[in-house]
Amino acid sequence: MGWIFFSVALGYAVARVVFGYREPESPLTRLTRGEAAFLAAAADATFPSGGALRSSGREARIPAYVDRLLIASHARSRRQMRLLFFLLEHATLFFPAPGLSGFRRFSSLTDEQRVAVLDGWASSRFWQRRLVFGSLRAILTLGYFAHPPVLRALGLAPFALRSPICEADLLYPRIGAHPSSILLTRADLTPPSDGTPISLGAPIDPRYAEDDS
Amino acid sequence: MTDAAGDLRVYAEYDRDFSEEVDAVIVGSGPCGAVVAKELTDAGKRVVLLEEGPPFTPSEYELDGALSMARTMREGGLRATRGTVMPTMQAIALGGGSLVNSAICNRAPDFVLDRWCTDFELEHTTLSDLDPHYDAVGEFLGIAPTPENVQGERNLSFKRGCDALGYSSEPCLRNVRGCRGSGECFTGCRMRAKQSMDISYIPAALRGGARVLTSVRVEEVRADGHRVLGVSGRVVAPFTGRPSHRFRVNARAVVLAAGCMATPVILQKSGNLANRSGQVGENLQFHPGVAIMGVFPDPVHPEFGATQGYQSRHFLRDGFKLETLWAPPAVLAVRMPGSGDAFKRRLAQIPCAAIWDAIASCPRSLGRVRARRRGLDPNLTWHLHRDDVLILAQALWTLAEIFFAAGARSIIPGVHGIPDELHSRSEAEILRTHSLKASDILTGGNHAFCTTRMHGDPSRGVVDENGKCHDYENLWIADTGIFPRCPSVNPMWTGMALAHRLAQTLAERL
Ligand SMILES: Cc1cc2nc3c(=O)[nH]c(=O)nc-3n(C[C@H](O)[C@H](O)[C@H](O)COP(=O)(O)OP(=O)(O)OC[C@H]3O[C@@H](n4cnc5c(N)ncnc54)[C@H](O)[C@@H]3O)c2cc1C
Ligand code: SF4
Repeated sequence: MGWIFFSVALGYAVARVVFGYREPESPLTRLTRGEAAFLAAAADATFPSGGALRSSGREARIPAYVDRLLIASHARSRRQMRLLFFLLEHATLFFPAPGLSGFRRFSSLTDEQRVAVLDGWASSRFWQRRLVFGSLRAILTLGYFAHPPVLRALGLAPFALRSPICEADLLYPRIGAHPSSILLTRADLTPPSDGTPISLGAPIDPRYAEDDS
Repeated sequence: MTDAAGDLRVYAEYDRDFSEEVDAVIVGSGPCGAVVAKELTDAGKRVVLLEEGPPFTPSEYELDGALSMARTMREGGLRATRGTVMPTMQAIALGGGSLVNSAICNRAPDFVLDRWCTDFELEHTTLSDLDPHYDAVGEFLGIAPTPENVQGERNLSFKRGCDALGYSSEPCLRNVRGCRGSGECFTGCRMRAKQSMDISYIPAALRGGARVLTSVRVEEVRADGHRVLGVSGRVVAPFTGRPSHRFRVNARAVVLAAGCMATPVILQKSGNLANRSGQVGENLQFHPGVAIMGVFPDPVHPEFGATQGYQSRHFLRDGFKLETLWAPPAVLAVRMPGSGDAFKRRLAQIPCAAIWDAIASCPRSLGRVRARRRGLDPNLTWHLHRDDVLILAQALWTLAEIFFAAGARSIIPGVHGIPDELHSRSEAEILRTHSLKASDILTGGNHAFCTTRMHGDPSRGVVDENGKCHDYENLWIADTGIFPRCPSVNPMWTGMALAHRLAQTLAERL
């Protein structure tokens, strides 16, 4: 009897952790559905729509950015990030969010409950909890700022700059490529930077200029 | 293709195991290793410089802060100490930290070097002993004060605040030629103005005939009796670190310049080499940094200006140095408090904001570096001492004071237990009246030292003042790990000056 009860409880717990997530809005390489759902929910709680900056966390495609970040990251960092997402997504199954049906995964909570849960982590008297919140918010913020319209709205997009060609460019191929791929010669060298200050209204880098809103 | 007499190898060129025979092998191409490579080559020695990271060119720079860190920093930029948790960044790239740092150059103050000499039984490490070496490096790199026309308001407002309070301040000296004020030193200088090692010392070493092997990870220093024989390791793929071919370099001298975190690990993994003193990996010190964001009534246009253009050495004897700061906005935003609408409102203030930081001398706050069972990433423990928390609190208060004197409308101190935003000098008093704990303050420590410290007494230090290991005739250490105590100012120039001296001494003995 106890055995049956245990199996059912275990099955229920596994289902709560693994299943029931919707297809993410855009195709993702590394993030699981659950991670993407959690990130989308946390992104909107941290960056709600409207206000001083127009884009919401979801509009800023934060899950897609985190997916790219995971690809670029080292194995240990990747593991740490995923553990963080897992912890925050499921913590409310044990420490409920305020209000009705607080015993749900973070991504299944209402907007108000999500905000309350994150506020709880942020203002905890335990620094470890604050650290967990700080780490999550850091990842979300990096993703938010990677969305070109956000930097454009703030006037902080990087300038368009043309790099001078110096001796080092004749020595180093692109990372992973063979030196024979370097097509530059000494004739291609250009004068070094003359130190002319960039003017404030200078054009912004094309990667940030394109209309991506 | 170039007039380089030497040879640079990149990952795509390795197709088998290999070995080399040279006069000197240098491990690590950061500021310290690069100086040794050039100076030994200039002295006519056969040199090979080994670097685990790849060379970067501007087309490889990521403008996005986090993606850039994932590519250029060890552990993707997420390395942190245990004990007192503090992020600390070390680069993995040709040029080491010089690729991503702000190029601030400071000579260590004479009172600091005098204390190094008295407390660590050193005879020739006063400022006047090191000045010729600082000069040589300074001349080669064009170290000069940041010109006024690329300072921008975010740097100049700091000067105004200091002037108003009677605190001395000055434009930062930097190893830069032709800075245009793009403020993006952290992700790599697209203008090739910053004289990072990959565009300065390393091409010069190559011109002199050095061999530079990138994407090679040294795993062991081989020794026999009182001499070391050389190093061995593996070729590793850029970014993934996946190992492939093996290599071995036999050398008459080995110079470890892998950085203050990696060098002790290499020694520990080589059978606890050069550790008769028991000091390898001990004494880890940082200049923990704190920062405050100040919001001004009018736009500051922080996107323009030298990354760190102004500083104040006024409080060095009190234990801290003040600087202006800029980094990719995303990285700065991470420090701001709040969430939801309030957070967005704060972010929207960044165009009117400046960020200034303080780095503190914390010789009482000690830690250690230990090899992990697998791999070469270090285990770092470090504890911020209570007395040093007081120094950081004093530094935070001083920054706040300068902000209000410069005309800031509010400041965001980023300290737990204190209101998120303070609107006047009197509100900011809380920074000195509130009793802060280490865990209340967000610190970062990118200046790290002392893990293979120099000491005149072989039983109390790993190297002598020239950087030669006490235990081995031909093993030398050149990175900032050899500092006996924190230098109180940005460490790169001092590390390079000591490396310059090491190279001269070694060249005479080879
Ligand atoms: C973001 C940032 C900003 C900074 N700003 C300043 C500043 O403005 N002014 C200043 O003075 N200092 C600054 N610093 C600190 C400064 O960059 C370092 O103190 C300096 O780079 C240390 O030089 P190093 O040669 O000792 O070591 P590193 O620069 O760390 O170089 C060590 C090199 O060794 C390589 N290596 C490590 N292990 C191995 C191995 N096993 N095999 C092969 N190669 C290996 C590494 O990849 C690296 O390239 C900053 C640091 C950071 C991270
Ligand atoms: S501020 Fe910009 S131009 Fe100046 S050295 Fe730094 S990255 Fe280069």
